[in-house]
Amino acid sequence: MKAGLRQSMAWLHTWSGLLLGWLLLAMFVTGTSAYFREEISLWMAPELHHSQPSPDTPALAWAALNAKAPDAKSWDIQLPEARSPVVQLRWQPDTPQAEEGGRRRGEQAVMDAGTGELLSPRASRGGDFLYRFHFELYGVPRIWARWLICVATMFMLVAIVSGVITHKKIFKDFFTFRPGKGQRSWLDSHNATAVLALPFHFMITYSGLLIFMVMLMPWGMNAAYEDGWRGFFQDVFPREEPAAEGGAAMPMVDIAPLVARARETFDQPVRRISVDWPNRDNAVIRVSTAKDPHITDQRRGGNPTLVFNGGTGELLETRPGDEAVPGAFRVYNLLVNLHLARFADPTVRWLFFLFGVGGTAMVATGMLLWVSKRTQQLRGKAPGAALRLVNGLNIASLTGLLGALAAYFAANRLLPVELAARESWEIRVFFLTWLLALGHALLRPGRRGWIEQLAAITVLWAALPLLNVATTDSHLFSATAWRTGALAGFDVVCLLMAATGGYALWRVVRKQPVRGRGPLPQRRTVEDGA
Amino acid sequence: MSKHSLQRLTASPAVGVASRTLAAVFGGYALAACATTALALWLPAAPATAVITANLLSFLIYTVAVLWAFATRSAARAWVGILMPALVLAALAWLGGPEALL
Amino acid sequence: MTVIAVTLPLSLAYAGLTALALAMKRHHEAAIGAKPPATRLRAFRVAGWVLMALMVASCLRLWPTGLALSMALGLVTLAGLPLVFLLPYRPRLMVRLAPVLPVLALIATAV
Repeated sequence: MKAGLRQSMAWLHTWSGLLLGWLLLAMFVTGTSAYFREEISLWMAPELHHSQPSPDTPALAWAALNAKAPDAKSWDIQLPEARSPVVQLRWQPDTPQAEEGGRRRGEQAVMDAGTGELLSPRASRGGDFLYRFHFELYGVPRIWARWLICVATMFMLVAIVSGVITHKKIFKDFFTFRPGKGQRSWLDSHNATAVLALPFHFMITYSGLLIFMVMLMPWGMNAAYEDGWRGFFQDVFPREEPAAEGGAAMPMVDIAPLVARARETFDQPVRRISVDWPNRDNAVIRVSTAKDPHITDQRRGGNPTLVFNGGTGELLETRPGDEAVPGAFRVYNLLVNLHLARFADPTVRWLFFLFGVGGTAMVATGMLLWVSKRTQQLRGKAPGAALRLVNGLNIASLTGLLGALAAYFAANRLLPVELAARESWEIRVFFLTWLLALGHALLRPGRRGWIEQLAAITVLWAALPLLNVATTDSHLFSATAWRTGALAGFDVVCLLMAATGGYALWRVVRKQPVRGRGPLPQRRTVEDGA
Repeated sequence: MSKHSLQRLTASPAVGVASRTLAAVFGGYALAACATTALALWLPAAPATAVITANLLSFLIYTVAVLWAFATRSAARAWVGILMPALVLAALAWLGGPEALL
Repeated sequence: MTVIAVTLPLSLAYAGLTALALAMKRHHEAAIGAKPPATRLRAFRVAGWVLMALMVASCLRLWPTGLALSMALGLVTLAGLPLVFLLPYRPRLMVRLAPVLPVLALIATAV
């Protein structure tokens, strides 16, 4: 086995890739969807689709909070922007119960930006479920899940580097793709998706580890700071604590002039308003705008902000928000922001989505290649239990997962709005569908299994836009969906998914399986013996 | 266990792979952890910058250790190649930084 | 708007990659036919790298440095994908697109 560097790297590549490949597939699929997390959450809350921002929006939000929580401890208003047409209201009640357990529990509401009406969207975890699944799974103790995800990421990093080392003719074969040759074609696809997108794959994997660096490698922080990571964060993001007590009651000024002033000062739309001790004499209002994003910006804060005295409206402080960041931090920020596609405008966001699909294809072709290679070696004999297991798991983690995803979205439209624990039921549908797919795949781990599951997902994804027409009025044939881009985009992606599934189905059906023993036929390929 | 069968056991490829895997996974992590600590303490920069730089490099070090464990000629070399630098870095970390030399 | 702007670096990357592919004997013969002399192969290689440099420059015009360099790498990927699939099926089309696409993109961005 150790007859040379390339061989040992090939061995390492195959096993590090295969053992955790199924988990990595799930991570890629959910991670790719997470690039559009907000859009997915919006699609899954049709009650919010008619909200349209207007110049009165800040004043409406102000009035809503004054009515709902006039003597809260703090307010937070997130104004509408391209990815979210509603107003997010958050506040912290000034009651002893709200401080229980050391964790401050706030309350929140969603407001229509045009009418000021408080909305009640159907209970759903939306895109956040998929986003969280990507790095901490679901139903598993958080720390265990994160460690498992990080172990998988580390395996992938090793797979990438060993893959590059073992790929003998990486430059000569850069453009090579030989279609219709069975295992050879899978190898070429795997090489193409892997090598062409190598910068992306390396970035996404390495930055994934960096995001969890406090959990994975706290040793540097613990050595350099007395209170470990807390000391580190206090050093890097010094936080200002609000006043401990609210003062005497005193009404606040109108928000509209303050918003206008912030807008004029920074020449950017206002995004966020936060208040410490609203309607007291020591109220502090912070109005923050958007900013020209830089990919090396810190994740938290840094937006241009005006700080006002709440009672008089007097300007207390102007924070332009551009602070010099030392070199090493810029590297960290760059990598992490690339991973999260922060500051991506719609075009760049779609590009990242495509890269994510490419990454999924890379992992998938690798695992299909593994099966294809060993099937070919069998020369027409029936596959053994191990090969059937791998093939079954491949099916379950690819078409099974994609089917579960479609079912999750379908459940959002089909489950009654008033259903108790609705959020959990949507998620249960996701897992039950996946489990069903797993069972089916393990029972029929071959060409038939692929055909049946590909057919199922084609139907499921095609059904979603139709379901939309039947159950909402923000479907592809309505103006609302096209006004908010994201909504129409979602349905279009569903149709593209169905088309891809259909195409894959057609390709698999066309290829005839070869039975019996004997030498390999020249042009045909043996996918499996089923 | 007789000397002969012990020899055969350690020569078997499965044991070699297992040994290398342990060296890679746990030895590699230890090496990366020692390196992170030593770098965070010894890099000539503000503490926060030193910590971040150390962390940025840590996963590269881990990956190189894993590759070394499987690329090198024998499992024994794998262990030596990982543990020796780890010990040196651990010693540096124990010293606590450039102030210790003053 | 950025959609149109991205077509320029994307098409330059495609042209550059095509040139680099044609600098390899195997692909040259498949796409253009006939045995190419070493000088022609070298010419393609130089042209390829020049086009890639132009692509990076066009990215730097569109985005701030950090993002521009990252996007440059990413766009090479995206430009490479159709190329990899055209090469075995429609090699001559692949070659013909190489000069056409950047010109179209230039027109689109100027307008």
